[in-house]
Amino acid sequence: MKLSELKAGDRAEVTSVAAEPAVRRRLMDLGLVRGTELKVLRFAPLGDPIEVNCNGMLLTMRRNEAEGITVHILAGDEGHQHGWPGFRRRHRFGKRA
Amino acid sequence: MSQHKTITVALAGNPNAGKSSLFNALTGAHQRVGNFPGVTIEKHEGYLDYRGYRITVVDLPGTYSLTPYSPEEIVTRRFIIDEKPDVVVNVVEGTNLERNLMLTVQLMEMEVDLLVALNMMDEVEEKGISIDLDQLERLFGSHIVPISARNRKGLDELLDHIVSVSEGRIEIRKNKITFSAEVEKAIDKIAVLLAHERELDAAANHRWLAIKLLENDREVYTQVQKYPVWVKIELALQEAITECGILHSTDPEALITEDRHAFVRGAMQECVRLPKAARASASDYIDAVVLNRVLGLPVFFLVVWAIFQLTFTLGKPLMEALAYAFGLLSETVAPHLPAGMVRSIFVDGVISGVGSVVVFLPNIVLLFMGLSFLEASGYMARAAFVIDKVMHRFGLHGKSFIPMITGFGCSIPAIMATRTLKSRSDRLATIMTIPFMSCGAKLPVYVLLAGAFFPPAMAANVMFGIYLLGIMIGLWTAWLLKSTVLKSDSEPFVMELPPYRWPTLTSVVFQARMKAVMYLKKAGTLILGAVIVIWAASNFPRSSALDAELVQEKAKIEATAVAPELKAEQLQTLEARIEASQLEYSLAGRSGKLLEPLIRPLGFDWRIGISLVTGLAAKEVVVSTLGTIFSIGHAAGETSLSQILRSDPGFSKATALSLMVFVLLYIPCVASVGVMKKEVGAWKPVLLYSVYVLAVAWIASFITYRLALLWM
Repeated sequence: MKLSELKAGDRAEVTSVAAEPAVRRRLMDLGLVRGTELKVLRFAPLGDPIEVNCNGMLLTMRRNEAEGITVHILAGDEGHQHGWPGFRRRHRFGKRA
Repeated sequence: MSQHKTITVALAGNPNAGKSSLFNALTGAHQRVGNFPGVTIEKHEGYLDYRGYRITVVDLPGTYSLTPYSPEEIVTRRFIIDEKPDVVVNVVEGTNLERNLMLTVQLMEMEVDLLVALNMMDEVEEKGISIDLDQLERLFGSHIVPISARNRKGLDELLDHIVSVSEGRIEIRKNKITFSAEVEKAIDKIAVLLAHERELDAAANHRWLAIKLLENDREVYTQVQKYPVWVKIELALQEAITECGILHSTDPEALITEDRHAFVRGAMQECVRLPKAARASASDYIDAVVLNRVLGLPVFFLVVWAIFQLTFTLGKPLMEALAYAFGLLSETVAPHLPAGMVRSIFVDGVISGVGSVVVFLPNIVLLFMGLSFLEASGYMARAAFVIDKVMHRFGLHGKSFIPMITGFGCSIPAIMATRTLKSRSDRLATIMTIPFMSCGAKLPVYVLLAGAFFPPAMAANVMFGIYLLGIMIGLWTAWLLKSTVLKSDSEPFVMELPPYRWPTLTSVVFQARMKAVMYLKKAGTLILGAVIVIWAASNFPRSSALDAELVQEKAKIEATAVAPELKAEQLQTLEARIEASQLEYSLAGRSGKLLEPLIRPLGFDWRIGISLVTGLAAKEVVVSTLGTIFSIGHAAGETSLSQILRSDPGFSKATALSLMVFVLLYIPCVASVGVMKKEVGAWKPVLLYSVYVLAVAWIASFITYRLALLWM
């Protein structure tokens, strides 16, 4: 699966990184190597670029750059689609999840 | 008495790691800005005296890595290899160790005398992160000094360490990280081959060269390729690529990067304890609003609007005050100078020339204070994130937006502000978009013409249309450039959104001061020169026949027996007429006439031609020249300029529209062309661009004029 196909809130593990040399190297230097876990935080208001959290760092890239990153999806993080950080999995219909 | 021993220190580190804060804290006022050879990357250099040493500090550009892909990284590498600084201080952000240590590892590989400054220790403690410094030192082999550059803590200790390292009192155990077996095998093989090459500098770091060759580093490739040993090296590289492909299903470059990450992650596991439940930070909450799907764009526009307001609304009274002060200066100076040429040179040439440079200073200072606040607070990267899609459609980068918006105020600071863009082609494309963003100096022209030829409600629409036309042509230009000559090397949007930080006042003021000095130095000389040239062109040569006529006619009027008020009025009319004729006779006037056949199809006569020539000094000058030249035959002050224009047979609605379009599009002003040259670094593209701009202006005006003739 491509990183660009994930939704906000999805967690995934990087399996390979392909892009033109300069972009690929930049991605890898910033920590997107095989085995890295990341979480898609959000897409920009106009739908592109995309923001991911990778080892606690907030990284942005355009969709076409994210297309080269193949990932293996981990568990989705429901209830956290549109990013209000404190409220994850709390108080759903009066119950704590 | 004591002779200073000198130490050169290079500061290297990630962007936002606090390198500049450390640099400022260390060197204070003793610094200067230059460029690294051959590139437009600013080189900040400063010095300080410490315990009998003169320590020169060079602030290298912020980098995440040491690849040959970005000019910043190449500059950093070359400086370390060629200039051989005595100590390399790696500034590391304590709150984001993992990414920062990736650069440290690569600096280790270069086997330099490395010292790690662990910055932002105050934040580290605040967040409850504990770092085992001793173990970290053991792993990395260099001393680690905890500091907080913002609060000036730990600086003396850092300086002590710098001195000790340069004296050789601290041993730097040049630890090596061990890569995967196949990579190590290849490194050894290539290093041996390199060591046997006699022509290669024996002092070169063979292991580092080998690693870089395996990383597919084109800089090192070209460096090594010329030696005979290359044939063997190439074979070894091929072998390594095959082996990595079979055993790890990847290439050596990726494998090396993965190994570095593995090393750093291992070190993190061993030495760093994060607080248990990492709660969502304030940054996350701010981002939830600022980057929100719905609120993101409104917040963005609000911020841009605020910066614009700050610069041009707050700047306006200051600008007016300065203009007033210069006016006062001319008034006080004028009576002390002999009337005629000398007075004109000083008052109209020098004082108004210097004045026209200095009046922009408040705008520039305010704008750069605003921009450096946005940059240092962390919002700039987010603004780029929000607007990137729109800009990318025209081949530009998200960060191009702020300079473009600034262009509505004044092209000069806008062109200077493109320095936030890293890639050269993105910068060039943005710079060449800016002149189409209608600047503040063009507004008086629109106000005059739209006001004179259109009813008030329509005039506003006309002006709005003009602005829109500028934006459209600007974006079209960017698209054209990016899809033809500037096709290559767009900056990828792979970047980090830094955590929000409250910028310190000193750093904001410091940045603004630097830009102000730069403006005065570079633009100042140019604008001044240009204003004087144009002043000279519109005053020389003078017709002595007209001078004589003035004297004669004056005498005639004096001799007639009419009321003194009438006499004064007649004199005024006479002077205005002679002045206009002198302008016609001058170089500027002649070029206006020379231009007439060229601009006739646009509906312009030679009088408008003159205004266009003098308008090169600054666009608002178009209005004052029109005022001078069209007042022929009208008593001064009798009727307003807009009435004169309306009643003039050479001026119609179509001419007015055509002129507005031309003023919008043709070369903004000599000063901005000068600044453009400084930022682009060569005359050729700037001159080509000027030709392009003139062509676009001509065509657009022609179309406007013809359409207007048809429809109005």
